[in-house]
Amino acid sequence: MSDQTDVLPGTLDLLIMRTIAFEPMHGWAIAQRIHQISNDLLRIQQGSLYPALHRLEHQGWITAEWGASDNNRRARFYALTRAGRRQLTTEVAKWERLSAGVNLVLQRT
Amino acid sequence: MRIWHILRSRARSVLLRDRREADLTEELQFHIDRETDRLHARGVPIEAARQQARRTFGGVEQIKDVCRDARGTAILDTLVRDTRYGLRRLVRDWRFTVAGVLILGLAIGSITAMFSVVNAVLFRQQAVAEPDRLVNIYQNDRAGQPLVVTTYAAYVEMAAYTDIFAATMAASIPNPVRYLDDGAIRDAVAEYSTATYLDVLGLRPSIGRWFDKTEERRGAPLVAVLGYQTWTSVFRADPSIVGRIVRIEGLPVTIVGIGPVNHRATVDIGLGTDFWLPITALPAMTAVPAIRDAPTILAPLVVKARLRQGVTVTQAKAAMDVLGPRLAAEFPEEYRREGEFALGTGITVVASTRVRVHPQADKAMMALASLVLVIVGLVLAIACSNLATLLLVRGATRAKEIAVRLAIGATRSQIVRHLLIESLLLSLAGGVAGCLLAGWGLQTLQRIDLPVRVDVTLDSRVLAFTIALSLVTGVAFGLAPALKATRVDLLPSLRDEGLQPIDHRRLTLKNALIVVQVAVSVLLLGGTSIFLQQLAATRALRAGYAVDGVAMIETDVRFAGYSAAAAENLYRELLRRIAIIPGVQSAALLRGLPMQNNSVTIVVDGATGTAGSTVKAGMLDAGPGFFDTLRIPLLYGRTFDARDRANTPRVAVITERTAREYFGTLNAVGRRFRLENDPSSWTEVIGVVRETGTGRFDDDVLDPVPPPIYVSYTQSGAPPTTVLARTSGDAAALVAAMRRELRAMDATLPVMTAKTMRRELEESQAVPKAVAMFLGVLGGLGLVLASIGLYAVVAFAVARRSREIGIRMALGASRQQVVWSVARGVAGLIGVGTGVGLILSVIAMLALRAVGSRDTGIGNIAVYRPEIDPVTLLAIAGVMALVGVAAACVPARRAARLDPLVALRHE
Repeated sequence: MSDQTDVLPGTLDLLIMRTIAFEPMHGWAIAQRIHQISNDLLRIQQGSLYPALHRLEHQGWITAEWGASDNNRRARFYALTRAGRRQLTTEVAKWERLSAGVNLVLQRT
Repeated sequence: MRIWHILRSRARSVLLRDRREADLTEELQFHIDRETDRLHARGVPIEAARQQARRTFGGVEQIKDVCRDARGTAILDTLVRDTRYGLRRLVRDWRFTVAGVLILGLAIGSITAMFSVVNAVLFRQQAVAEPDRLVNIYQNDRAGQPLVVTTYAAYVEMAAYTDIFAATMAASIPNPVRYLDDGAIRDAVAEYSTATYLDVLGLRPSIGRWFDKTEERRGAPLVAVLGYQTWTSVFRADPSIVGRIVRIEGLPVTIVGIGPVNHRATVDIGLGTDFWLPITALPAMTAVPAIRDAPTILAPLVVKARLRQGVTVTQAKAAMDVLGPRLAAEFPEEYRREGEFALGTGITVVASTRVRVHPQADKAMMALASLVLVIVGLVLAIACSNLATLLLVRGATRAKEIAVRLAIGATRSQIVRHLLIESLLLSLAGGVAGCLLAGWGLQTLQRIDLPVRVDVTLDSRVLAFTIALSLVTGVAFGLAPALKATRVDLLPSLRDEGLQPIDHRRLTLKNALIVVQVAVSVLLLGGTSIFLQQLAATRALRAGYAVDGVAMIETDVRFAGYSAAAAENLYRELLRRIAIIPGVQSAALLRGLPMQNNSVTIVVDGATGTAGSTVKAGMLDAGPGFFDTLRIPLLYGRTFDARDRANTPRVAVITERTAREYFGTLNAVGRRFRLENDPSSWTEVIGVVRETGTGRFDDDVLDPVPPPIYVSYTQSGAPPTTVLARTSGDAAALVAAMRRELRAMDATLPVMTAKTMRRELEESQAVPKAVAMFLGVLGGLGLVLASIGLYAVVAFAVARRSREIGIRMALGASRQQVVWSVARGVAGLIGVGTGVGLILSVIAMLALRAVGSRDTGIGNIAVYRPEIDPVTLLAIAGVMALVGVAAACVPARRAARLDPLVALRHE
């Protein structure tokens, strides 16, 4: 557990949007997916996941709808809106620039 | 689009708040359940799995809170919630709420109403074109101060400076006139002006035209312009009025136009002008021979001019400096005249924007207005300090509640927000109450039958100002204790040891506020006493004549088109008929009403009195039988009789006061005087009568009634107007009988006045009554407010000390001792406050006396000089002390009734 990292502040939105870019998912699944894809490297604080979802929804980048989950219970599924998709592209580009820059600096020194 | 989305989402989240809440709960629960399932599937026992899921998830409620915040609905939500909470608190503490709303409402209401009046009189700006180019021109007196009066001759000379002035106009000061409308006589205000009036102001008539130069010639048919406001209010904005003939002062006058919109009067002090007539109509309209027959226009004129483009006020001044000495050389007679309006050679030119009424009068009016505002401001000060006291006391008593809430997790900002919202709610409720009160007050004010009709509208700026002020007060004094209370050390407050050291400091904010309230209340009551004193003096003044059984009827024959000769016969016949009405003991003719005298300036021959030779007198045109009818005793000489005719030497009857002050002796029979403006009017005193209260009292404050002089209407050149009669029976019945007699003689004759002497006397006291009432209400208000404050402070002290009181009583203190220990502190506060108030009252009275005895320079404005009456002042102090002690006693007695056991356990 000790080699797990909390996500960087500010990147949570990016991770959420990227995760639901292909299909609508509910909150627990989003957290699981991020966990799995990052090879258990990234751990999402539950305390910040839901506020982030609600904030993104409020900003109009994702929408939420009630649907049936895999265990046949009512769950809130989040999907990316068109504005959200555009936002995701810019955010990804921004992130790539940032990480490339950080990497460069780290390699030089 | 995004903005729209956000707004919609926000609106939805507010509207669907309950559903959102349920959704959020379900969503989070789903997460936890799902996580439990996952762990369980891995072999963790179900209970342990649930616990672990919950632990990793964290505080559900905190997350919910953050989610709500993320939605951006939090602010609105909490606002609604806090407002609800605040309302609940205010309803629960309804006594405090009612007191607060009343205090604020009364203060906001009264100051707004008063300022609206002051605003109407003093500050409302007049609409004229290019106001910067307008100047007012006045002839100076010998001291170089501008006079009220500019003569017509001087105006003509001023108007000749066409290289300086683009246009020049003169208008008389407002004159009371009466006109016939729909068979009823109406009171109105007329101005006599030149044809150039609107050219100077740069305004246009709203309908029709202004009168022109040809109509300004003497002897031209009479025309008039109707004031816009009168047109809309009295004539229901009927355009066909233009071209119609209206009888003004009995004379047929053709209406040629309606005045400019929003133009009320030349000198706008809230008194709207109903008619503008050519300046030359003045002699025809008046019945006073001196004015009627004078070779030139005799009227106090306001002269205004429009400067030519590019001409400065200084240049105009320079031109008038040349004119002054020239006028003096041209009219040496006029400039030699002594007395009140003695002309100096100087001429004053002032930009019109810098004058309200008259350069000299403005100062007095400003002083008067400031006085009124100071008085109302004092009430506002009481109210604000009162509110502050209440809030401080409440804030302190809530310290424990606040501590509890802090302890169970409320944040400081939440609590401060709650208190702030409560204060705001209270202030707003007070503001609403204030609006209602101000509206009601102004309505009532306008219903009071004052001699001056002032057009007053509620001033929204003032309303906004006072509401803002109360908001600030409410917030400032609601917040300070809130901030203090939230900084408390929790433990002692919660435990409420009740052993906090008793506050022995004397100079706390609360105490200071109470002292201020008591002092200002005393000051207001002191002011009330001044006017009550005056009212009492007026009442107590021996009328000096018969009142019961006396009645009068006034008509103006000019309205029925009578000639002078026919008028004389008519009045003589009317007098004869009234004299034979059963029960009538005596009847007489006079001009005007028995308590109305014309202020004139007379020159006393060989004056030996204290006043000098040129003095003011109140002249009344009476006839034979006048003194008999009013039962005024004759001291020396004789009264009027049939010997006094138009062609015999002029005679007069004076009162003992006139004789003493102007002639230096009681028996002034045989002495002479003349009218100042008529050198040939030498009149001999033929009799001296007992002093009377003749003269209305309604303008006493500003214009003391000058000593009366009676002349005979048979010699004054104007017909009488009124029959005065005394009956052994009922005066009201006599009024009805007199009406019948007049109607029987000529049904077209309008009744101007028909009333009993009793009624006339009552009406004459309207103004001092109104002023005394106004101040009395304010003083009473202050008293009530101050006692509320005292009550609150004492109740607070008792609540704080109930444990101490319980200990004392358990140790054997008697009830009296408990009451005394509570009351002692209050008595000190009341004592100090009352003392300060009394000192301020005396200072105020001394100041009034000082102002009253100084010559203000314009005409006869003199302020009432109050007597400093120690008995009254002591009585006021006593009342204040009594009310204060009573207010303090209620909670003090409650303290004394405390059961020691309960008190000791009191938490």
